Amino acid sequence: MSQVASGYYAPASLRDAISLKRRLREKALFVAGGTAAVQLVSKMIAEPEAIISLEKVPLDYVKIRGNVVEIGATTPISRLLETRGLPTALREAAENIHGLALKDMATVGGNIFTPAPAGDIATALLSLDATLVLRGTRGVRTVPLSKFYRGPLKYNIKADEVLTAIRIRRPPRLSSFLKQTPWRYSGPTIASVSVGLDLDKNKKARRVMVAIGGLTTHPYRVKRAERLLTSKKLTSELIEEAAKHLVDNVDIIDDALASSWYREVIAQVLFKKILNRFI
Amino acid sequence: MRIKFKLDGEYVEVDAKHTDTLLKILKDKLVVGSVHFGCGEGTCGACIVLVNGRPRYSCLTLAGYVDGKEVTTVAGLAHDGELSEIQKAFLENDAAQCGYCTPGMILTAKALLDRNPSPTDEEIFDALAGNLCRCTGYVPIINAIKSLSKKR
Repeated sequence: MSQVASGYYAPASLRDAISLKRRLREKALFVAGGTAAVQLVSKMIAEPEAIISLEKVPLDYVKIRGNVVEIGATTPISRLLETRGLPTALREAAENIHGLALKDMATVGGNIFTPAPAGDIATALLSLDATLVLRGTRGVRTVPLSKFYRGPLKYNIKADEVLTAIRIRRPPRLSSFLKQTPWRYSGPTIASVSVGLDLDKNKKARRVMVAIGGLTTHPYRVKRAERLLTSKKLTSELIEEAAKHLVDNVDIIDDALASSWYREVIAQVLFKKILNRFI
Repeated sequence: MRIKFKLDGEYVEVDAKHTDTLLKILKDKLVVGSVHFGCGEGTCGACIVLVNGRPRYSCLTLAGYVDGKEVTTVAGLAHDGELSEIQKAFLENDAAQCGYCTPGMILTAKALLDRNPSPTDEEIFDALAGNLCRCTGYVPIINAIKSLSKKR
């Protein structure tokens, strides 16, 4: 195997990026926007021998074709805000990222890997049943976002793979995202909730996806609440009942930002606010 | 590695490690006085510079990223000893006290006004969310930016 020197690489194509990663494996750190990855380096949490910057790889795009939305992994938040026709929850999650520099730097793909108290775009994407497109030396693989997180900072991705795109097939007709931060503009996430749903003409939910962020390292889907809401007429009583099951068997973060009790209460409030809009 | 970029209109060349941040290079190697280290994690905005006209936290940007690009600091906004419109507006509105946040504030304000010449209050608050000021209470800063807002 040829020796690759340590250093800073900015490959111009995806193929070059993957072949570099195949040779360097864990010695290399992928950097997209840098808002999370560079902190690993500057705080000496990681000491990579090489940096593979994705800045020149052409993954900054949003394509909306029929019922499919595809977002390139290095698309910055500011691009989402310029794009019309995105599912509401995704747009609302992007609008809730404040600060000009952050919006320009933070990428959608990077957000998927970023743990709480950030990573709100991932919460929205989870409620839209998004799928990740991963490309490695042996080809392309797709993984539902709901099957991507395997524990804190553990992801369903191989050492030679790179996340290239996020795909939303058949986005739900209705969706909404809300988050709570300690102050009005920016700040770490105390809790975020995103819901995607399809209602029939009798206001019965045919498909419901509920995602919660900020309570655990990575966002999660709430299957119990989704089952409770499915095929029933949406009423405030039903919403109240479903809200009781948002944190079943969840080990909620309890730290200086917010207690686990408070995070749970906020998640319930946000969940009820969202669903009551759809009654 | 050797990186070459334009700093406030002049080409500079420096040696950098692959893990060096742009902030470190600007402060330690190029001795730029107006770029400040605050938090080192993209919260305070004291280190913001413009790279090809777009605002970036230099503490979260690796030095290699600016190779072949154009970096603008607040010093690059003045021409022939004449302050730019935004700098004058900050001066006239008493928008600086200790001054630590001021370069980042001015550069973010410039990026905002370049894109959106008549921002609403809401748009100004949103744009400046990543720039912390612990002296002014923000009101003079917002006023300085509003004084430049062009009526449509």
